[in-house]
Amino acid sequence: MTQTFPLRVRRALDDKALAGALANVSTKLRAGRAVAFESLPDAETIRDQARKAKLDTLRDLPAELERFEGRLLANGAHVHWAETGAAANRIVIEIARAHNVRTIAKAKSMISEETHLNAALESAGLEVVETDLGEYIIQLADDRPSHIVAPIIHMSRADVGRVMHERLGTPLTDDPATLGRYARERLRRVFLDADMGITGANFGVVETGTICLVTNEGNGRMVTSLPRVHVVLMGIEKLIPTLADLDRFLKLLARSATGQKLTAYTSLITGPRRPRDECGPEVLHVVIIDNGRTALMASDNAEILGCIRCGACMNVCPVYTSIGGHAYGDTYPGPVGAVVTPGLRGLHDWSDLAGASSLCGACRDVCPVRLDIPRMLLNLRVAAAPRCAPSWLRLAMRAFGWVVGSPAMYRIANTWARLALRARSRQGWVASLPGPASAWTATRDLRAPAARTFQEQWRKRHAS
Amino acid sequence: MTVPARDAILGRLRSARPTSRLPRADAAGPAKIARHSNDDCLKRFEVEARGLGVDVWVELSPADVRARVASVTMGLRVLSWDVEHLPYDVGVLMARAVAGSAPRDEQALADIGVTGCDAAIAETGSLAMITGPGRSRIVSLLPPSHLAIVRRAQLCGTMAEFFSDRGAQLAEASSCTFITGPSRTADIELTLTLGIHGPGRVAIVIGP
Repeated sequence: MTQTFPLRVRRALDDKALAGALANVSTKLRAGRAVAFESLPDAETIRDQARKAKLDTLRDLPAELERFEGRLLANGAHVHWAETGAAANRIVIEIARAHNVRTIAKAKSMISEETHLNAALESAGLEVVETDLGEYIIQLADDRPSHIVAPIIHMSRADVGRVMHERLGTPLTDDPATLGRYARERLRRVFLDADMGITGANFGVVETGTICLVTNEGNGRMVTSLPRVHVVLMGIEKLIPTLADLDRFLKLLARSATGQKLTAYTSLITGPRRPRDECGPEVLHVVIIDNGRTALMASDNAEILGCIRCGACMNVCPVYTSIGGHAYGDTYPGPVGAVVTPGLRGLHDWSDLAGASSLCGACRDVCPVRLDIPRMLLNLRVAAAPRCAPSWLRLAMRAFGWVVGSPAMYRIANTWARLALRARSRQGWVASLPGPASAWTATRDLRAPAARTFQEQWRKRHAS
Repeated sequence: MTVPARDAILGRLRSARPTSRLPRADAAGPAKIARHSNDDCLKRFEVEARGLGVDVWVELSPADVRARVASVTMGLRVLSWDVEHLPYDVGVLMARAVAGSAPRDEQALADIGVTGCDAAIAETGSLAMITGPGRSRIVSLLPPSHLAIVRRAQLCGTMAEFFSDRGAQLAEASSCTFITGPSRTADIELTLTLGIHGPGRVAIVIGP
């Protein structure tokens, strides 16, 4: 994070191409979600059930994690625990060395962005290639994802064509299908040659010790079927109880994220390949990662750990759709990021994000598990506010409370304010105000109040 | 080194309880799993799969299935599940097919992968594939086209029904994949592109 939040916001707002791309996200993905939910008549019940399953599992997380670990071990997987992102990266490097790994094919994983895994692997001398198309472009451009589902939404097709032309020497084009074919040709070799595959996990099913991974491109299947070693990185919060719950979460996740009834490929991985199987990894390692999550669990905002990373809150957020993902400054953008980032990284450097919301509640309305994001943003604002307000402010607030606490005083104050504003106005607008109120008029005019209040007009109308 | 990390994480979670503010949630209990008639499943499956751009053929006899498979695979290099796992004796057409046990680079040259399936899920038009010997997951993944042969009795109304009936078997296998239409991406300007890594074309023959 090299700039302050207001500077990042300013830069985003000045970017006209970004504004167009974000308008595309908010219209297409929102419409897709709305249509997809029409095909799920009992959606509201399913959302309630998913929310309950997630929150109940979080409430009993230590025991659930132990049960999940037990199932993984029984299935023949190796289990590792990492307190920090750096520790997780070290574990992955050790696994790679122990299995003589040179090249790694990676599927999209948000937690690997959190731990900056690729940089750690590269400095350990390992070659790692992102295989999700968007993440591949991000890696080629040395950029960062700006949306958790559509990582290169901030880039135009011409940008993508230029990046591939410069880094891979492909003919310059801006046709998405052609660009996709170039990527397919190059990544095919990576899948076939990679020694190790790395993925995240969308869900960990406690009942069976199953890792669930959803992808649309098929790279998730490639990475978990072809290399001889498979490493799963997962946050401690990814658990759900049973396969029956998984059915509900899958119904909600695809609809919320991309407007599909189900993603093209839903992979359920239960241990490494069996002795007589022709493919699949010989070894499966699961790295269970904290990286700040236990601190979140101890806080007022533990509920955010129920997030299933669908991105729906971003697509409806008036702030995200104005400033995009990069302005949020860390792995998770949008309303969920404004809660998760201060939770994982500490409020001190990230308290600005809680202000980046109008608290309109659109995020809560679309959240498949009904996370009360506005409440959590308010919690953060309270926590970030100075513990003791200056004495002038406390005095002013007391006076304000006294005035609005009495109907008579309120009416008098209202009349004075109205007269004062009308006196300053010209042609119905107030162009400048003194003192702290100038913060409003510095950027926009204030409409002058009407000659008579609504109540006065109401009384008059009913008298006649 | 990893054992202390495990205990530290679990310990922190346990000591988080007093200050953790997780709301209580209420929900209706799970609904009874609805069962649908085979005819309804077939109708729904056809609609959903075709909506995803999948070619679906419903054939009335094993001979018709074989004729359809022969016409779809004609002139193509075929990668196939082991023949005993293909229904309707389709295996007789696979004499020159590459098997899942062949070297990877040989498999990668195939034009089309031919598989059966474990279930065809009507509500989403998905194929459920449980990995096992002779039923390589690569066959439905590496070639640019995938042809699946489904017995009518394998139609299943919902994923809930599949998990309820086959959950134990699924948990015994290393992997189970639900294939829902062709491989797709919309990463570039949300423009849909098919066949990015997996097959860009999926075809399904449903037999009697």
